[in-house]
Amino acid sequence: MAMEMAVDAIGELGFPYWNPLRRRFPPDSPFFASGNVERELLAKQVALDLTEDEINNLQKIVETETRKISCPIAGCPERLKSLDNFEDHYKTRHTASCSVCSRVYPTSRLLSIHISEAHDSFFQAKVARGYDMYECLVEGCGLKFKNYKARHRHLVDKHKFPTTFEFFKRTQLSKKRREKLQRQRVSKLKHGEDKEEASSDAMEVEDKASLDGLVSALSTLTTSDTTPSNVSFGRRHGRGLTSVPRSVHREKPTNSLSTPGPKT
Amino acid sequence: MADDGSASNRRDPIKSSVGNVAGQRRRQQAVTVAKERRELLVRAKRLCRVGTNGGDDEDALVENEMMIDEEQPVLEAQTIKAVEELKSAVQSQGKGAMQKRVTALRELRRLLSKSEFPPIDAALSSGAVPLLVQCLSFGSPDEQLLESAWCLTNIAAGKPEETKALLPALPLLIAHLGEKSSAPVAEQCAWAIGNVAGEGEELRNVLLSQGALPPLARMIFPDKGSTVRTAAWALSNLIKGPESKAAAQLVRVEGIVDAILRHLKKTDEEIATEIAWIVVYLSALSDIATSMLLKGGILQLLVERLATSNSLQLLIPVLRSLGNFVSVDPKAMLTILIGGENTEENVINVLAKCLRSEHRVLKKEAAWVLSNIAAGSIEHKRMIHSSEAMPLLLRLLSTSPFDIRKEVAYVLGNLCVESAEEGNARPRIIQEHLVSIVSGGCLRGFIDLVRSPDIEAARLGLQFIELVLRGMPNGEGPKLVEGEDGIDAMERFQFHENEELRVIANSLADKYFGEDYGINE
Repeated sequence: MAMEMAVDAIGELGFPYWNPLRRRFPPDSPFFASGNVERELLAKQVALDLTEDEINNLQKIVETETRKISCPIAGCPERLKSLDNFEDHYKTRHTASCSVCSRVYPTSRLLSIHISEAHDSFFQAKVARGYDMYECLVEGCGLKFKNYKARHRHLVDKHKFPTTFEFFKRTQLSKKRREKLQRQRVSKLKHGEDKEEASSDAMEVEDKASLDGLVSALSTLTTSDTTPSNVSFGRRHGRGLTSVPRSVHREKPTNSLSTPGPKT
Repeated sequence: MADDGSASNRRDPIKSSVGNVAGQRRRQQAVTVAKERRELLVRAKRLCRVGTNGGDDEDALVENEMMIDEEQPVLEAQTIKAVEELKSAVQSQGKGAMQKRVTALRELRRLLSKSEFPPIDAALSSGAVPLLVQCLSFGSPDEQLLESAWCLTNIAAGKPEETKALLPALPLLIAHLGEKSSAPVAEQCAWAIGNVAGEGEELRNVLLSQGALPPLARMIFPDKGSTVRTAAWALSNLIKGPESKAAAQLVRVEGIVDAILRHLKKTDEEIATEIAWIVVYLSALSDIATSMLLKGGILQLLVERLATSNSLQLLIPVLRSLGNFVSVDPKAMLTILIGGENTEENVINVLAKCLRSEHRVLKKEAAWVLSNIAAGSIEHKRMIHSSEAMPLLLRLLSTSPFDIRKEVAYVLGNLCVESAEEGNARPRIIQEHLVSIVSGGCLRGFIDLVRSPDIEAARLGLQFIELVLRGMPNGEGPKLVEGEDGIDAMERFQFHENEELRVIANSLADKYFGEDYGINE
């Protein structure tokens, strides 16, 4: 029902506004399935003399064994047994976050694309020299483009992405992420390892990038002396790194930069 | 007619008098059995352990232990033997032949009633059905008819192909539903037919084409008795659809609507339960039935049952019937809501009672009914909003299982929005309700729905967030949403499979949490 609304009620946002509608279900609809099962389990009581607890347990067994949820992230084939399992799966598989700007991506591939495009001046250097650097986001497509806009057009035309889709979103970070960055800064300073100390002024750059609004951050990306000091593929909540970080310090000359190798 | 006191032990639950250990074993096995027989459950068939005549109970009690696996081959061997006996009994003539047949039938019946896994296959492959059909012939003594129908009943309670094996017997079973049959015989035949009807649509169509419906319908006219209950149960299986023709045929039986209303009003809960299931299917499948029942005042009867009963068996179909009526005819709802004199019987209070129940199904379906009422007029929304259902709904949104939360979300959202008129693309928000519901603490619950993998639920959550962003006074919306991690939840949709949700989430983020957001903090 709401799908029709998405097409019909095109407001200024293209938005399907909440519209109260009566919902009717046929008698064999899955909506009524649990009530039907209840009827038969209770009918069974006549023959088997079960307690009410047992009936409740039976119903749970019967229901949970057959109902599985498909992960809704594009391209993920996983099927989960329960909402809790889904949450776990989502956290471990679909939250790859950029340690520079804390954006989150559902796959490591997308994360690495983001890092190249947003934080890597080597990438920008190649773009400036005319190479096709902007990869199509759809895995397996393989096409590359000279600039962000061209890639965007390809996504819309070829892969039916919505025109409003923005890979690099120009929105403010959520409060949670800002707070998290804050905590990161504090905890990194506390640990006082060499790596972290050396990157303390790099942290300032990150802070600036994330907290002062995106426009200024974008402008720093277009010049080649933007050097991310610490790039790593990390899980959002974990401290362990799944691959060796290629860290580049600000002091070093730019031509010793190495591109971070994407690891899927 | 044995519709008197001796009827009381006909369908009673069999409580074994064996001690606790055996009871434990039975229970464990029951859990296993239930898992394996899930298909059976869904097919709505019932095994007949104690017959309709109430006799032979001593046998039933003694033999009522669950068989463990090693005993199954023994049972099968005995069954084959019993069928052989029956064969010879059917062929014999003259004096004592009748007694021989009854004895053989009884033996087979016992074997088929003993365990949770009756040796149906053994019986079928040794050719039981044709013999049983022969025993159903007209003029046979009642005992013979009864035992034969009982065997067929339990054969039909098995797997689909086993139920289908009853096809040759159907015309005779239907014939013995007639008003001249003795009550226990008619009831046992109705039971067998009920099992067949519960198997599937194909068999239901066969039964209908063989004229099963009218005699079965007439069996529910008496006021009470286990025959009425069994027939009503069988009838509900027969009309459950999804095709509507059986329901349409039933409503044409003269006097049936009156009988249904009469039972709903007065009868004991067991019969009322089966009648309620008939109402469920009629209200879902037949417009004529729906309007006839509404005219006859069924809503008031349903409300009364909901208010007074505590039997889950009864409450489920009654609630669902109410839901079906409400989802079809809002005018009927208006009448009963406005015209209700007695507060106890007020529809919304009765639904609140269901929300308070510990039973998941009742909570979920009551919320569904409320959501449809809330999709009605402003008066309906106000009535719900000022009722005792509100605090229950708010609490359920944060604490209950997912399927209940989804229905509750529909109620709360529907309360906050006027139903759109034609051509008006953006329905108006009822700010008073929105503010009070949000301050009741529902926003977190909606944002949790946004995180769910269920597309519909996620869409609901996003739609409600839009209401909050747009409709909360003094521009409080965005802060409130952010405070409950709403932005976080929306960010999940960047790479979501579903294009519609991507668009919705992105457009909300763009409009309300764009570059300028939070600059002046």
